[in-house]
Amino acid sequence: MNDLAIETHSLHKHYGDIRAVDGLDMRVPRGAIYGFLGRNGAGKTTTIRLLAGLSHANCGQMRVFGLDPRTDSVAILARTGWVIDKVLVPSMTGNDLVRFNRGFFPRWSDAHAAKYAEVFELDMTRKFRQLSTGNQTKLCLLLALAQGAEMVVLDEPTAGMDPVVTDQLLRVLVEDFANEGRTLFLSSHHLSEVERIAEWVGIIDHGRLLLEARLDDMRANFRRVRVVGEALPLAASADVLKTGTGEGTTEYVLRANAEAFVATLRTQGATVLEESPLNLSEIFLEVVGKGKTNVPVEVLA
Amino acid sequence: MIIRVHTGQGTPIYLQIESQVKHAIAAGALKLDDALPSVRKLAAELRINPNTVARAYQNLERDGILRTVPGGGCYVTGQSPGLLKSEKLRRLRPMATQLAVEAKQLRLARAELLQLLEDSYDDLGEAQ
Repeated sequence: MNDLAIETHSLHKHYGDIRAVDGLDMRVPRGAIYGFLGRNGAGKTTTIRLLAGLSHANCGQMRVFGLDPRTDSVAILARTGWVIDKVLVPSMTGNDLVRFNRGFFPRWSDAHAAKYAEVFELDMTRKFRQLSTGNQTKLCLLLALAQGAEMVVLDEPTAGMDPVVTDQLLRVLVEDFANEGRTLFLSSHHLSEVERIAEWVGIIDHGRLLLEARLDDMRANFRRVRVVGEALPLAASADVLKTGTGEGTTEYVLRANAEAFVATLRTQGATVLEESPLNLSEIFLEVVGKGKTNVPVEVLA
Repeated sequence: MIIRVHTGQGTPIYLQIESQVKHAIAAGALKLDDALPSVRKLAAELRINPNTVARAYQNLERDGILRTVPGGGCYVTGQSPGLLKSEKLRRLRPMATQLAVEAKQLRLARAELLQLLEDSYDDLGEAQ
């Protein structure tokens, strides 16, 4: 458990008959940039609020740096930064909030606060309520980054940010986190951003984690294969996630061992038109596609 | 040298970096003992995970293309001499298949395809 920043097991959170988190098993390695991906309403924010100790799980286990958010949330909050609700005291300015937060965190850095104010082009003399939504997010982020946390949890950090600031944010996250062994956990549905910076990806849908793997392992193993041939198997192996046919062509999506699969098809007289890797967005759609019976997918390392 | 990575395609980012470095060496843009940007610098420039850059550099080092001086950067040593011919062919086969399929679909003659390959090969010049 020591090399995990976050671990959950059979975590449940129900609101009435809505199962917002429904048996979530997640393992976030320490020092990783972990992209927590899911559609709107998949359970991302609920999960994050449970981990932060802001709401209580119905059942299941969870640990943040080995501590239980239900009983040790103060100890957890001292070591971690959370950018969740993006709501601060409306009448306080950026500078007020820096002074206010400084006292809570032993590893607080004024230098970092000043640096991020410049990077994010934030006017620190303005009151929180006078800032635009994007700038409010940036101020929350600045406070989380300046506290010197071992892990920062960001819920949809780039929502409401323009492309230039998003780019600066990505640079800050890459430079200041990955190089210092700190853990970064970010939820998002901006797959192309996650694809650039994340090392690990977890895909959640209907409150369950459907896939958790190193991004490189996913990209190395997932393949789309299009073939032409007679009487081809419709699902010849457990590695086939999806089969589709149309206009004489058969398409397979595989989670592993595409090379062997293609070789077998060739011996059956098929002509292989395409064997191509999938990007994160394509993998996401295959795993979380609309109307699918969402089955967890195992990825080979 | 300028490295660019694209996330739209399924090719892993570390492979994109590897192939761009190899291409730069093959084309003579990177020469023996030229320095590459540090892992940290390249990662920040490209907004990608430093482990991804590190993995690309490790693979290039394993292939005998780069050498890393601890704390002192990363330098070009030469042109993948370390690989067995069978391994080289194994790496190129998927691309060759793709090329052959496309050529057939476009009804390009075998000789025309070979000519195209020869031209591309010659365009890289004599750099070793």
